[in-house]
Amino acid sequence: MSDTPNYVGQAILRREDDYLLRGQGRFIDDLPTPGDTLHLGFVLSPHAHARILGVDGSQALALDGVTAVLVGDDLAKLVQAPFAEIEFPGYHVHGRDVIARQIVRFVGETVAVVVARSPYLAQDAIELVEVEYDPLPACADLESATSPDAPQVHDDIPNNTIFKGDFTTPDFEAAFEGAEHVIRERFRSGRVGGVPLEPRGCLALPEHGDGLVFYSSTQVPHLLRTALARFMEHPESRIRVIVPEVGGGFGTKAQIYPEEFIAAALALKYRRPVKWIQDRREELLTDIHARDHIYDVEIAFNGEGIVQALRADITTNAGAYSSLPFGCTLETTGGARMIVGPYRITNYTYNARAVATHTAPSGAYRGVAQPSCFMAIEGLMDRIARQLSLDPAAVRLANMVPTAELPWTNVVGVRYDTGSFMESLQRAMEMIDYEGFRKRQPADRLVDGKYRGIGIASFTEVSGTGAPGWRARGLVRMPGFDSGIVTVEPTGKITAYVSHAHAGQGHYTTFAQVVADALGADFEDVTIVEGDTATTPYGTNTFASRSAVTGGGALIRAATKVREKMRRIAAHVLETASEDIVIEAGRAHVAGVPEHGLSFLEIAETAYSMNNHTLPDGDGYGLEETDFYDPPLVTMANATHIVEVAVDADDGRVRIENYAVVHDCGRLINPMIVDGQIHGGAAQGIGEALMEEFVYDGEGQLQNASLLDYLLPTSEDVPMFKVEHIESPSIDTVGGFKGVGEGGLIGAVPAVLNAVGDALAGLDININVKPLRPTLLGNLIREARRDRL
Amino acid sequence: MPEKIEVTLTINGETRRGLAEPRLLLADFLRHELGLMGAHIGCEHGVCGACTILIDGRTARSCLHFAVALDGAVIDTVEGLAGPDELHPIQEAFHQNHALQCGYCTSGFLLTTLEFLRRNPDPDEDEIRRALTNNLCRCTGYTNIVKAVAEAAAALRAAD
Ligand code: FES
Ligand code: FES
Repeated sequence: MSDTPNYVGQAILRREDDYLLRGQGRFIDDLPTPGDTLHLGFVLSPHAHARILGVDGSQALALDGVTAVLVGDDLAKLVQAPFAEIEFPGYHVHGRDVIARQIVRFVGETVAVVVARSPYLAQDAIELVEVEYDPLPACADLESATSPDAPQVHDDIPNNTIFKGDFTTPDFEAAFEGAEHVIRERFRSGRVGGVPLEPRGCLALPEHGDGLVFYSSTQVPHLLRTALARFMEHPESRIRVIVPEVGGGFGTKAQIYPEEFIAAALALKYRRPVKWIQDRREELLTDIHARDHIYDVEIAFNGEGIVQALRADITTNAGAYSSLPFGCTLETTGGARMIVGPYRITNYTYNARAVATHTAPSGAYRGVAQPSCFMAIEGLMDRIARQLSLDPAAVRLANMVPTAELPWTNVVGVRYDTGSFMESLQRAMEMIDYEGFRKRQPADRLVDGKYRGIGIASFTEVSGTGAPGWRARGLVRMPGFDSGIVTVEPTGKITAYVSHAHAGQGHYTTFAQVVADALGADFEDVTIVEGDTATTPYGTNTFASRSAVTGGGALIRAATKVREKMRRIAAHVLETASEDIVIEAGRAHVAGVPEHGLSFLEIAETAYSMNNHTLPDGDGYGLEETDFYDPPLVTMANATHIVEVAVDADDGRVRIENYAVVHDCGRLINPMIVDGQIHGGAAQGIGEALMEEFVYDGEGQLQNASLLDYLLPTSEDVPMFKVEHIESPSIDTVGGFKGVGEGGLIGAVPAVLNAVGDALAGLDININVKPLRPTLLGNLIREARRDRL
Repeated sequence: MPEKIEVTLTINGETRRGLAEPRLLLADFLRHELGLMGAHIGCEHGVCGACTILIDGRTARSCLHFAVALDGAVIDTVEGLAGPDELHPIQEAFHQNHALQCGYCTSGFLLTTLEFLRRNPDPDEDEIRRALTNNLCRCTGYTNIVKAVAEAAAALRAAD
């Protein structure tokens, strides 16, 4: 590390802003498209479950400018059915043809691709492709999917149960039976999606014969390249994946999708550029969905509200297929593993299953599992408080692992190295004047005609998962590490290459802060390169709150090596020992004698043999080092969100009136950017708690595949977020960083639900589902009031 | 193939001509015929506001208009806001307040703000929030956008 960190920790304004504000960000659909480009259009199944009897593309082909109409069997010759490589007891691995061959399994699954000279023509052609289906009974509903007479999604997956896992601690039964109180509850979380403002797309450009430059709006360029190579059986070294500017990812774009294989395969087949830009309807129908969970939980506790034992039975809707590369266990095992959160819960048992249905495949959306499992455990904390007439904050504080007892290994073996569970709760209570709110709050919660309540969510946040963390969840081919190359150029300027790809997180700024400090360089001299497999070293890429931990760690390690070499060179030239050399502010000098030193330029010229100095014995030319960083199992951040809401007694609308967050992601790189991550995540969490939901009917038709019907939060739905930080640097990771990408969303869901539950507690309304739409709450309030008359 | 029709627009003060088939959306005309990529397509059904531009000084969704219907119109896009050396005060306020992350929605917000602050140079928070409801942002949670608009308003008032 640098002798004095200069840039890490500062709210440096973003380098990305200038070009984005000028409208010069180059997103996938903004890239120059060669004149002979072929445009793809996909024919989507209108049925949730059907046998494909025939596809007739003749009318489409008759259109001038339509080159081809291809079906599943055509593509199967070019691409094997990709499958998520999961090895986990109880997991049924299955592939998905990139275009359905005999059977379609969800509305929106591709049955044919049209190839045309323009995107408008491709749309025309889609309309003209005739597909004959034999509709089959479908099952979209999670509750009924495992019943014996439910339609089967895959013949070889009995009871539609793709995955089943369980766990128990030895003393669970005794602890559970011995407790004074037990509360049982079913929590149901609706199905949502990341819905980035930019839909997906790709542009495949053949080059040098069988080479392929593949632009994709992906979060995972290296994983995508490996998957393209593997399932197309094309040499990986002939494929270059480049990520242009990406308009939001949120995990949605961390999946590898059939359209990417199809575009790549057709570009190689036709030896022509191939382009596809998704439209919003396709995005909502076919991008991964998330949540759609049932948590049946039982919590046993004593008269002081101290938890004695917890039982969780978790069912998650996997959708029709396991998506690539995570499969469908992330939400299943993620919730089962994280539900104990910041609490000292040592007797625990779970059963968890992922169930196939005739709906869009599920995958990794910001928060993965944690909004649901914390909705459950945080909902239980409030219920314990209500049952024992204790304050919900006091119940939490009584159950939390105190900072003095960290590091702590939780009941499923996840280590919390450092943290601030109680401190973050206490500070958030001060920020929002929790005690004052409670004093003012009347028993019936009615203030000025609105039910007013306050809700807490204290939680742990999985970030920076390393190889052991992926193995523990059966993802045998998910690497875990990320890499960096740090180069001091002959002119003394620095280029750092990292295996990540941003979608709005500000990596060009934050990684430059990290490298500048690790190298002792001037921030302005550091340029970050990422999102290009031809220039960046391999890595696991950007999802699951990884980049600060893994990219930051890798860059620090690579920069430290460069720095050591620069010290050796400087010592050699200045005829002193390298231990006596200090590097700071873009210069190396003898400790205590700042004027006796060398600039980066002078050191670089020596390294690149551009002057008369020699290199120290044992050092070769150049100033470039590569290193990787694989974090431990996971890196655990934590936070507390506290929310005040007003629920309208007449129309059931929820207004967020006050919102405080205290977050702890260890060492902060750029507090401004961290705050932005929390704001954005919390807004998504408010959406998930109050309005967002994909609704399938009994036939598996998605009822709301437009942004008119799938509601995203607007500026009037969210409050001004107040955010503070506690810094408990990780002692397990290089750099002390923990992730922050998902915490905003994870905290908002349970905090908002608990606030509404608190607001309606005077009416004895039980809040155990989301989203809490006005119609639902309005009805509950009317019924409760009628019962009271 | 329907006949292509010549369309003439005044865009950011410059006269621009191009050919458009009758069904070509204004957004596609600007982006793919004229190379002005600043307006983005987020939904193509008039909800997200990423494609917002000004037509004759009023905000409009370029995904809901046909290019041929606008022959002769005066159009402002994000590309016309900044000078080569400095950002427009609204852009500067967005930068200072970290009011953009991925930047996909940003040009729409900038143009909505431009028109809004012309109508209401001294808005309060509620008015700002109401004015922004026609634009969706999935990254920022709006807190910093609202702050940026307030700061831009102050800067523009000070400059008057
Ligand atoms: S693209 Fe025009 S409003 Fe969404
Ligand atoms: S900054 Fe990404 S959608 Fe607004």
